[in-house]
Amino acid sequence: MTIKLRYWLAMLILPLMSGCYPKGAEYNEELDIVYTNYNPDFNFSSKTTYALPDSIIKITGDNFLDPDGNGKPEFVSPANTLLIFNQINQNMAANGWTKVPKTSNPDVILLVSTMTTTNLYYYYDWGYWGWWYPGYYPPWGWYYPGYYPPYITGYRSGSVFIQMVDSKAAPGADNVPVEWSAILNGLAEGSDLSSRVQKMIDGAFSQSPYLKH
Amino acid sequence: MFLLASVSIGGLYAQGSFTASYPISFPMGDLSDYIGQTSFRGVTMEFNKRQKKNLDIGLEFSWHTFYERQDKKVYTEGTASVSGIQYRYTNSMPLLAGVKYYKETDGGNFMPYAGLGLGTLYINRSTDLGMYRITNETWQFALRPELGVLIKAGPGVSGVLGVKYYAGFGTDDLDGQSYFSVNLGLMFSNF
Repeated sequence: MTIKLRYWLAMLILPLMSGCYPKGAEYNEELDIVYTNYNPDFNFSSKTTYALPDSIIKITGDNFLDPDGNGKPEFVSPANTLLIFNQINQNMAANGWTKVPKTSNPDVILLVSTMTTTNLYYYYDWGYWGWWYPGYYPPWGWYYPGYYPPYITGYRSGSVFIQMVDSKAAPGADNVPVEWSAILNGLAEGSDLSSRVQKMIDGAFSQSPYLKH
Repeated sequence: MFLLASVSIGGLYAQGSFTASYPISFPMGDLSDYIGQTSFRGVTMEFNKRQKKNLDIGLEFSWHTFYERQDKKVYTEGTASVSGIQYRYTNSMPLLAGVKYYKETDGGNFMPYAGLGLGTLYINRSTDLGMYRITNETWQFALRPELGVLIKAGPGVSGVLGVKYYAGFGTDDLDGQSYFSVNLGLMFSNF
């Protein structure tokens, strides 16, 4: 066998190798991830009531800009809001929580937001919630007691961000603690998006057993 | 590259051989904790120079790809939990210099051999979770003992069947990666 032929053989092997390289995710659903974190010192089982706003906000940047001057951010469509809230309410009820209006002194408040940017803003401007949050006044805000959500960058990603705020932690204080956070993240496209979001909400609750009563 | 060239060019004038083989690899230790599945993806190329009657020195270049899909699972660390599907990949590229000792039996038609290689494993481990990829890239010092047999098929051509054990040594980034490979291939020589 000549030297030349040996090299041809060697040259042939490499493209053959790349052809059989293993594949990754093929369906949108395979890219879905659910992240949850919580304050280990918070006694979730002693809390039973929660309140939910009537809208889900869109976070469009870490500063709250109000171009139309109505004091409100952009909202998610009513159909998607209903879809997400129904799924959250269902899971909260299954975990032994009771939904009450914000005026009925709820133990915790769930704030739900969405992001379709490449970044997640965990410290987004509190002004986003000024239109709704009870007793809001600047410089109201929140903090993450004992843990920090990760800094994530990506692309074409969409996220639903759920914050469980301890609304009774320190009345009158400037910052309220976010005792539980859930981030549902995936590709923000595809006809199965609704069912994927529902599954991810279920996942967030099932991987957070401490929320159960 | 210089070494490769010198061995190959050496092959033109001295006694040399080129071996191409197909490896099936079985992960061990830390690698098998990460990916348990057997690898059917890989290639091994060897350039050897006959130094003495029964002794070869040479170089080995290989590429072994380990892959495993982990179904949806919850991964918890402290208070944080992440759930999703993971795609795990480990690419190992051994670059080794070695010696091989042959024992001639059956008039040279059947030659068992034992060898030892020394060099590095280039390891690229990546984990895909959702739209995110965590990559760990490292070079590990490696030893590679091997056992096998050459079966003469014709003038200058032999079949090769062998077992190689790649033992990488841990680095700060990654524990030592190790695996067995069963190789089936052909050796072309000018002797």
